[in-house]
Amino acid sequence: MAYSEDDIALAAEYALGTLDADERAKVETMMSADNDFTAIVQSWEYRLGVLNQMVGSVEPSPEVWGRISAAAGLAGPQAPLVLPEPPPSPVVPEAVAPPPSSDNSNVIRLSAQARRWRNIATVATAIAAALVVMIAVGVSQPDLLPDSLRPKPRTQVVEAKAPPASTPPSAQYVAVLQKDGGSPAFILTVDGATKNFTVRKVGAQPEPGKSYELWIVSDKLQRPRSLGVIGGSDFTARPVLSAYAPEVVNQATYAVTVEPEGGSPTGVATGPIVFTGKLIEAVPSRAPPPAPSKR
Amino acid sequence: MLTPAELVWLIAAVAKGDEAAFERLYAATRAKLFGVVLRILRRQDLAEEVIQETYVKIWNSAGQFNPGLASPITWMASIARNRAIDVVRKRGEVSIEEEPAAMEVAADSPDPLARREMTEELKRLLECVGRLEPDRQKLVLLAYYNGWSREQLAAKFETPVNTVKTWLRRSMMDIRECLGL
Repeated sequence: MAYSEDDIALAAEYALGTLDADERAKVETMMSADNDFTAIVQSWEYRLGVLNQMVGSVEPSPEVWGRISAAAGLAGPQAPLVLPEPPPSPVVPEAVAPPPSSDNSNVIRLSAQARRWRNIATVATAIAAALVVMIAVGVSQPDLLPDSLRPKPRTQVVEAKAPPASTPPSAQYVAVLQKDGGSPAFILTVDGATKNFTVRKVGAQPEPGKSYELWIVSDKLQRPRSLGVIGGSDFTARPVLSAYAPEVVNQATYAVTVEPEGGSPTGVATGPIVFTGKLIEAVPSRAPPPAPSKR
Repeated sequence: MLTPAELVWLIAAVAKGDEAAFERLYAATRAKLFGVVLRILRRQDLAEEVIQETYVKIWNSAGQFNPGLASPITWMASIARNRAIDVVRKRGEVSIEEEPAAMEVAADSPDPLARREMTEELKRLLECVGRLEPDRQKLVLLAYYNGWSREQLAAKFETPVNTVKTWLRRSMMDIRECLGL
């Protein structure tokens, strides 16, 4: 039979748990009389039930088993057997690199996944104070770049493990360093609290005998300051931004120049600026999860 | 925690009256279920009563478990959660002053799940919840995890109960559409 949206909403709210006692009784009556309606309710319960994966485990007191055993009329001894505890599952740090692949369809897929993960990450932070946050930057239109700059499809997902629950995860900032709005060449991420930054090379390859050097450019600084040579490997992480005030870090322009191999010998940029970008807040800092109502 | 396949096997054994299997099932799942109901009931004694009733029901109705519809833990948790919600709705609001110690346990932060530990179903649901407005996300999650009534949600969001009712309904319908139900 076809169910009205009211019925479906009622089933959904039953599963969510927000109905009052009378409405719950009504749904239970409907369920006892109608298997199809029961199936709708259960489908909601099971869909939402996966949320319990996020709930922490708490041990009940040891006496509970005895009461269950008695209430269920078990014949066996009521003292619990000593059962081997399954080993705690190890928390494996997330590896950042999915298998490399060389076809471009993968880029599109990664970008769709990135959107999906941003969505999931938002909710996850609403649920837990400690979790994995994700900064995802998709590569768009790689075909517009010359071969030498064309990004090789590889992971565009940079992950940061949020600090423990006691401190709210700090904001994460991302700058996409690119040329004239073209595809990213480097992705710079900055942790709002520690100001550690990481640079991920997306596609840029320096000419032989040359290096890319990253600069922080701000009207609050007398001249661009070097943040070091980047791009020698896929991934560069440095703490040097901690020397700068937050507003400088947040509002600066980040620029990449081509320098002689090993970086500018003088501490002043000598080569052309090839990529620039500014930081945006990709993952806002989070307040701890809402405390239960004090009523 | 045992694997879902092991739990399915245990529930099948429980359905045949295997007491040892039931005890193993209890040992493997009690802390998770207790965590779920304690968040809602916020009192150790009430939560333990609900756990007791839940496992008696599992013992009696293990034969009705359909692994094609839900994972074992989801099935068991939904029995426990339903019972817990029934208790809070019938009792009226639980005053946290009654048992501040239990409060602390219940406020225990959720398991931080790494991405790879989330099931595909959870990712799908979170993706859909993530499409709701931030306030609605909070509304749905507070309702689910804490078992809050519309009245409690209305107080928390400082908005009339009828508005909460509308928000809840729309949010659930949005999630339904997003999940393709």
